[in-house]
Amino acid sequence: MTFRITCPVCGSRDVYEFTYGGHERGPRPAQEGLSAEEHFRWAQFRTTRAEAQEEWWYHGAGCGVWFSMWRNPATNREERPEPVDARGTGPTTEGDGE
Amino acid sequence: MNRLPATPTQKIDHDRRIRFVFAGRQLEGLKADTVASALWAAGVRTWSRSFEYHRPRGLYDLEGEGASGLVSIDGVPNRSAGTTLLERGMTIAAQNVSGSPDRDVYGALDRFDRWMPAGFYYRLFHRPYRAWPFFQDRMRALAGLGRLDVDARHDPGVRTEWYMNADVAVVGGGAAGMSAALAAAEHVDRVCLFEARPWLGGHLDWRVREVGGRPLRERAIELARQVAGHSSIRVLTHAPVTGVWGENLVTGFQVGPRGDGGATEGYDERHWECRAHTIVVATGALERPLVFEANDRPGVMQVDTAWRLARHYGVRPGEQIVFSTADDLALEAAADLADLGVQIVAVADARPEGLDGELAARLRDLGVELMPGSAAAAVGGRRGVTGVEIAPLEGGQARSFPCDVVVAAAGRQPEIGVLSSAGAGFEYSAHAAAFVPKSLPDGVFPAGRVLGLTDVEAIEASGVVAGLNAATACGALARSGSGDGESRDADERALGSAIRDAEGRLAGLPGPAAGSGHVRGPMTGKGRKAFLDYDEDGTWKNAAQCVEQGFDVPELAKRFGNFGLGPGQYRVPGQNLAMAMAELTGRPVGDIQCTTVRPPLIPPSLATLVGPGHDVHKRTPLHEDQTARGAIFRQAGAWKRARYFSDDFSCREEIRNVRENVGLLDSSPLGKFRVFGPDALRALQRVYISNMTAVGEGRCKYAAMCNDTGNIIDDGVVTRVGRDDFYFTTSSNRAGGTVEWFRYHTRYDGWDYNLVNLTDNLASINIAGPNARAVLSRVTDSDLSGGAFPYMGYREIQVGDSIPARCLRLGFVGELSYELHFLASYAQHVWDLLMDAGAEFGIGPFGLEAQNCMRAEKGHIIIGTESEQRVTLLDIGMGWMWDRSDTESRKVGAPALRACADQTDRLKLVGLRLDDTAGRKSPEGPADGALVTAREEILGYVCTTRYSESLGWRYALALVRDGRAERGTSVELFQDLGDGPRRFAAMVVPPHFYDPDGARLRG
Amino acid sequence: MFEILRPGFLKLDRLWEERPMKRHYDVVIIGGGIHGLATAYYLAKNHGVEDIAVLEKNYIGFGGSGRNTAIVRANQRTRENVRLYDEGLKLWPDLTDELDFNLMFFNCGNLNLAHSEAALSSFRLSINTANFCGVKSELLDRESCKELIPALDVSDRPRLPILGGMYHPPGGVLRHDAVVWGLAKGASAHGASIQQGVGVSAIDTDAGHVTGVQTNKGPITCNKLAIMAGGYGAAVCAMLDIELPIHPLTIQAMVTQPLKPFLNHVISSGGYHIYANQTLKGEIACGAHMDPQVNYTTDATAWYFKHQAEAMVELLPCLERVRFLRIWAGLADMTPDMAPILEGNLEFDGLYLDCGWGYFGFKSGPVTGKYMAEYIAREERPDILGPFTLDRFLRNRYMGETATTMKYGHYD
Repeated sequence: MTFRITCPVCGSRDVYEFTYGGHERGPRPAQEGLSAEEHFRWAQFRTTRAEAQEEWWYHGAGCGVWFSMWRNPATNREERPEPVDARGTGPTTEGDGE
Repeated sequence: MNRLPATPTQKIDHDRRIRFVFAGRQLEGLKADTVASALWAAGVRTWSRSFEYHRPRGLYDLEGEGASGLVSIDGVPNRSAGTTLLERGMTIAAQNVSGSPDRDVYGALDRFDRWMPAGFYYRLFHRPYRAWPFFQDRMRALAGLGRLDVDARHDPGVRTEWYMNADVAVVGGGAAGMSAALAAAEHVDRVCLFEARPWLGGHLDWRVREVGGRPLRERAIELARQVAGHSSIRVLTHAPVTGVWGENLVTGFQVGPRGDGGATEGYDERHWECRAHTIVVATGALERPLVFEANDRPGVMQVDTAWRLARHYGVRPGEQIVFSTADDLALEAAADLADLGVQIVAVADARPEGLDGELAARLRDLGVELMPGSAAAAVGGRRGVTGVEIAPLEGGQARSFPCDVVVAAAGRQPEIGVLSSAGAGFEYSAHAAAFVPKSLPDGVFPAGRVLGLTDVEAIEASGVVAGLNAATACGALARSGSGDGESRDADERALGSAIRDAEGRLAGLPGPAAGSGHVRGPMTGKGRKAFLDYDEDGTWKNAAQCVEQGFDVPELAKRFGNFGLGPGQYRVPGQNLAMAMAELTGRPVGDIQCTTVRPPLIPPSLATLVGPGHDVHKRTPLHEDQTARGAIFRQAGAWKRARYFSDDFSCREEIRNVRENVGLLDSSPLGKFRVFGPDALRALQRVYISNMTAVGEGRCKYAAMCNDTGNIIDDGVVTRVGRDDFYFTTSSNRAGGTVEWFRYHTRYDGWDYNLVNLTDNLASINIAGPNARAVLSRVTDSDLSGGAFPYMGYREIQVGDSIPARCLRLGFVGELSYELHFLASYAQHVWDLLMDAGAEFGIGPFGLEAQNCMRAEKGHIIIGTESEQRVTLLDIGMGWMWDRSDTESRKVGAPALRACADQTDRLKLVGLRLDDTAGRKSPEGPADGALVTAREEILGYVCTTRYSESLGWRYALALVRDGRAERGTSVELFQDLGDGPRRFAAMVVPPHFYDPDGARLRG
Repeated sequence: MFEILRPGFLKLDRLWEERPMKRHYDVVIIGGGIHGLATAYYLAKNHGVEDIAVLEKNYIGFGGSGRNTAIVRANQRTRENVRLYDEGLKLWPDLTDELDFNLMFFNCGNLNLAHSEAALSSFRLSINTANFCGVKSELLDRESCKELIPALDVSDRPRLPILGGMYHPPGGVLRHDAVVWGLAKGASAHGASIQQGVGVSAIDTDAGHVTGVQTNKGPITCNKLAIMAGGYGAAVCAMLDIELPIHPLTIQAMVTQPLKPFLNHVISSGGYHIYANQTLKGEIACGAHMDPQVNYTTDATAWYFKHQAEAMVELLPCLERVRFLRIWAGLADMTPDMAPILEGNLEFDGLYLDCGWGYFGFKSGPVTGKYMAEYIAREERPDILGPFTLDRFLRNRYMGETATTMKYGHYD
């Protein structure tokens, strides 16, 4: 599948214009009191379901902007999950952000 | 010549003969013949031998549906006879043949089928195991179809490529596709129509049957005329679609005027890609083969093969023809062939009833015996058909008919390839006896025979519906009327009513005709030579054997029994395999999934995919100059860079000249950046592991970036050029990723800074050596004295009176050196100035390898050479760069460094001095990649090692487990590059071999 | 001389039994690929654990086991990896005998091509490591590469000229489907139950123990559960909210039309990111590309289809007029250090995990099955699996299978 991604600045573009930046995992945690294990978990460990997930993309061949969006890796379609609670947090990814 | 009189449906030119050679025989065809029609007309029956049994094969289809029709043409293997135009002087050879096509050495394999049941090779040849290589080599020798001469270069001709956008892409230029294109083009601006054949018209193109008082063929011509004349439709003929790749990217190739024989202008083939909003799939139907004994004999052919031979190529398909088919189109073909004067002996139709009355009557009038409810059971003849046995499907006496051609089909199957590759799902319709689309991806609209439709008016009407729906779905309404509410409403009403009208019309027309659910004829026996798949000789019996062994669904049988994996892919066994599995397991067909269709739907040649070729790399502004100086280039990341300036790859002379005199390096690919703005410092603090507040004006600070596992990912120098304004360099390989990296690691912060990549705007020249200052001072008035411009200083100077340059006094190679960064357009001028000024000092260019040796002598690392995934910044002895006190900035890499700071048993970067026991100066010794060992233990490895003329001994930079990394420790190096083990003694020394005090670069 | 036509050959038995599904098994294995089937086979054969179910959502070999290019080799970069893959390589002949099923091991050797001085250096490290460990491997100059494979273009014409190569004679290719079917045959013969069309939707636990699974065919209880789901392993682990440093990516491969044999070794090239070999049918099978985003589809891309042609024609210009026949894709579960994660009693007692093989899952299949079976049966990590722990990522102890960290999915 040569799918497309909607850049918030440039619109729909071929996926090969972008760099994948991985799961949304929230901002870099404060260093004070951060254990080694917490750090390496934050940096590397994920749950990866075949469901919509929030992730980061960089439009390097376009506007040079990082943005996050929801994509379902089982279909490669942009897709927001149904909100499960009032905050509208998706049910499937870890790291709600801060 | 076996030709029929000229008719308007023919493509050939009776007056223009074309000579060609087949299997050493001089033959003749006509202009516009395909290789297939010319061979058949010339009486050639065996074109190839089959994959496993080496059975004679030849004409079955004209569409490239399998291996039977593949021949070698002018040394190019596996070309499809049915779709390749005949060209003057072609030399055509049969494939998979030892000896002559008619007398093949391996033809005897055909008799050994008893010992070759499905999957036999998995159960054979391995007991005992040592026997296997013997059989393997013999099996391998028999493998493959076409033979490739690896030394011959075949001119791939002119290859181009074309990238299109479309509102609506229509695949298939038959009645449905053309109708869809016309309907869509009324509402959108860009419609692309792709047709695999060299002409539009689909199956109407050669049909002369009258519907509504007019021959169908005329309707095709009329539609083609409208399509060609429509300004919103772009038509590509002879342009097979290779696949649909998601979000409606349609790809294919197109045979051009040169590739079509004759023309000298234009292209041979071009690769094309079309990104469409929506797609209409009107790919029509394939024939579904009938399975019976010896159904692969040359002389057994598809309905459309016989029909098109006569109608398109004026070739008499055979002298006496028997049909064993199952739909009205076949009856029409039989009647039409009879009208053309071809003798049709009999027509068996698998359907017991429901035959088109008019056609049946017509056939009887022509004296053709019509046998409803019957089908072929077997054909006779060894190398070609001599007769056929026809028997009732429900049991009864078989009758033999002498004939030389059997036109055979079990029915039609929708050509689902394009739909399937677009992601559609299918279900079995028992009425139509066909797998028809069930679920469709967004924006994909099927039309015509792919829906199982058979009525020509319904086919056309379905095209109109699909075209209008496709136009609607791609936003035709949103874009019409240019915001004028009233006219938009009017358009919406018009389109809505057009769709309603078209759907109403389609509903009033006949749906799919009833199909025959039979796969095989009334065979007696197990179907030993009744083929479901011609490409790899998969028989009915093999399918039964698959089921016996547990491979009872199509996907498993496909792999175990080899059904649909050959050159024709899914086409021949396609629907039949699912129906056969149903019959063999006693399950309804509806419970069985077809096998997945995989792209490419039509195989493109590699040369066509390559197109004109793309050698994408960057050259420095000094590329020509370096070339003229004899540089040997290597690809380094995105760049082509000068690595050596002579064929002495030890670079002795280049190094000596820098060490003793002065040298120039084109370092333009070096990453060069400016970051400025109120938060520029905060951004630097985040991504650099060093303390960036300490960066001062006029000073270069050497700094590094790490990743979240503490590996060094970049190093370079940073200088402050204004209050919130910094200039920094990165390694060449990181230049492309630096902006991305900064922005990623500050993406939550909302900081206000600008980051500009100046890498390609600025050239860089490094002047290094004891005479560097002397040379540089001749081209600038700036004060270069040690006091005014010390080591690690940064100045903005004028070169050659007028060229502003950033000048960095650094020492990567361990000598006094300056790096000049300036506008790339001045590169040659500055280079020439320096070369002229340095002439009296013996200035010369040096390349990357010389730089590599000198920096290693100095103990300066290259990331990825002296570092790897197992070592952190600390492990390579660069921990001093890390500002441990700063936790506030949340530096990337800091937590990982902290976590590893006290770990033991890690690889550490050390220097090694290799004993030269013989006291010779010869560079004898291990190479990069040698192991550092102790008895049976691997302690680490050598990253870089060279014999140094400057030092007079061999040094190495190595990564060694810390227990053995103490200075003074003796270690052993091991090298065995397949030439036998060699061991070398070495001693751990500090990794700064050359000028350890730095006197030379500070001088 | 050879037992070709031994009695019983023509009796075409089912290769594996279709047994009714029970509600409880001692061991349940999720994933009917090479790893799952091999583990079942060795559990039953070597450890007497016969009450096993292998649950396969589709049909056996549907996933990576049936989609890879079946290349095997043992010239890894580090000793820990060489040890495992070397034993794996030596297992194929024995396994062929044991299973009485021809896995069609073609011991043709692998030639890896270098296009830069840096690649040559990294080859030397692998070659030295291999030879130090007793695994044959040698460095070739470009002329020797040409001698080995006459079809190679070793001139300066290609964008990345060939500078030399690493030749590894013990490597080769197998018929990947045969390995799946042979292991299924062996596992079934020793009593394991192979359940096709059974997909797991949830994993049941109780007080820190794994107790069973929920499937589309109802619940199954078990004493031990092994997740051996290949590219889907991370998704299965997610059912228990287990986080892993794994990114499932789509990897693509393709074949040309069948040709008479001319390519008698496996070739690969890091520069062009390609590996290729000629199958026993004569097709040139090639592939290697992965798009770097998490991807559970098995869709091929037009982009790679075209770029693969460019790379192939650069290395083997005689293929210019040859046609690509088929492209497909499978999943590769990538870890940052290109080494797998093999765990027992991970977070839950009785839970075993075999994942993160990336594109090394085929060549490691049987040998991993052998030792995972031992792990499961004895509840003690076998020495050879010692390095492949999950917690190495929490201690920053990568295994060094590649020089640089695999960037896939980790923005590092």
